Amino acid sequence: MKITTIIFIIIALTGSGLGLAAGTRYELRVDGLACPFCAYGIEKKFTRTEGVESVEIDLKNGLVIVNTSEGKKFSEDQLKTIIDDTGFTLRSVSVKPR
Amino acid sequence: MAWLKRISLSIVGLTVFIVGVTYLFWMPEPQEVSYALVKTWGGKGNKPGQFNEPTGIALAGKEVFVSDSRNTRIQVFDLDGNFIRLFGKQGEAPGQLNRPMNLTIAGDELYVADFFNDRIQVYGLDGKFRRSVGKAGNVGGELSAPGGVAVNAEGELFVADFFNQRVQHLLADGTFVRQWGITGVSGVLGGKLNYPTDVAINNQGTLYIADGYNDRVLAFSPEGVLLHQWGGPFAMNIFGPFNGWFATVTGISVGPGGDVFVADFYNDRVQKFSPEGDFLNAFGIKSTAPTHTAIAVVEADDGSVFVADYANHQVQKWQPGN
Repeated sequence: MKITTIIFIIIALTGSGLGLAAGTRYELRVDGLACPFCAYGIEKKFTRTEGVESVEIDLKNGLVIVNTSEGKKFSEDQLKTIIDDTGFTLRSVSVKPR
Repeated sequence: MAWLKRISLSIVGLTVFIVGVTYLFWMPEPQEVSYALVKTWGGKGNKPGQFNEPTGIALAGKEVFVSDSRNTRIQVFDLDGNFIRLFGKQGEAPGQLNRPMNLTIAGDELYVADFFNDRIQVYGLDGKFRRSVGKAGNVGGELSAPGGVAVNAEGELFVADFFNQRVQHLLADGTFVRQWGITGVSGVLGGKLNYPTDVAINNQGTLYIADGYNDRVLAFSPEGVLLHQWGGPFAMNIFGPFNGWFATVTGISVGPGGDVFVADFYNDRVQKFSPEGDFLNAFGIKSTAPTHTAIAVVEADDGSVFVADYANHQVQKWQPGN
């Protein structure tokens, strides 16, 4: 019984730890992603930004999906600046936990 | 209400007049027989002969070199599309690539615009790395996401320095000579560029700049004097689907006879011009994907034209008069 309880606690703590380690998923709606010079430019800017784990381009839905590491958050202004630097306009941001 | 009707009629008349003038002056007819698509090869994947977003193309004799961008490699084919070899892998070390874009071949060397690594990488045609030019930054000789490169008879480089909003002229060792455009400032007037994507040079030393988001081409003499500019009315960043108009220029090359081939990306086509910018022809495959097709183009000695087709992950081969 004791062993089962300990295993349960370990699993619960591990699970909770994984939950804490997860960062944030930002879905950015940006016009003009069809051109790779544009899309690659945005990918390049984000991959060189501290705390960004991965960047995906969803051409079909016109989305840039940015996954950050634990504790890394962006304000909408920060995201807007990065997108502006690539020559595009940020239309909207959706923030989701990972 | 008669005055309202009169104003409405005037507006309609003026619109018809403007459209008519626009048609007469800025919608030239093709000057040649049509091109026909004779072959495509590739398809999406990472096996030899497949592509994941081809972004550049160049020719050396009977070999076609293709930037296979997301696969981070260069693939080489014969003129019929038979796979010969590939080289390159992802990374930042010398010889490694990260998003190769437009290509140029000069002599026995391949020049690759290494977009993420902010440099031009130079290889032998066998794929052996020889040297790189440039590093990340915005002072003279430094690059920010190069999109394309041209090489003159002296081995000097002209680089479309995409995020720095300029084209740089560099000596073979990367020493800065001069630039077109204002560093970090995009625009359409006052010598500014707007995200230049590629460059080409002819055997008289005329430099052609694909001024990407300005939807135009600029031609400069070897002394740096503006000779010609074209792309829509007044080459003033007015995009459109008509002959001689562009919707984001992503690649440019000069054919063996001196004609200028332009990849007109959002219009899914290649347009062909005289060295002075007179419209000659247009051809392409319409895209059914969320992105577009013609991103880079090159002409062979026999008149065949090879196009890197981004949306369909393939190479198109066209020939005139079929």
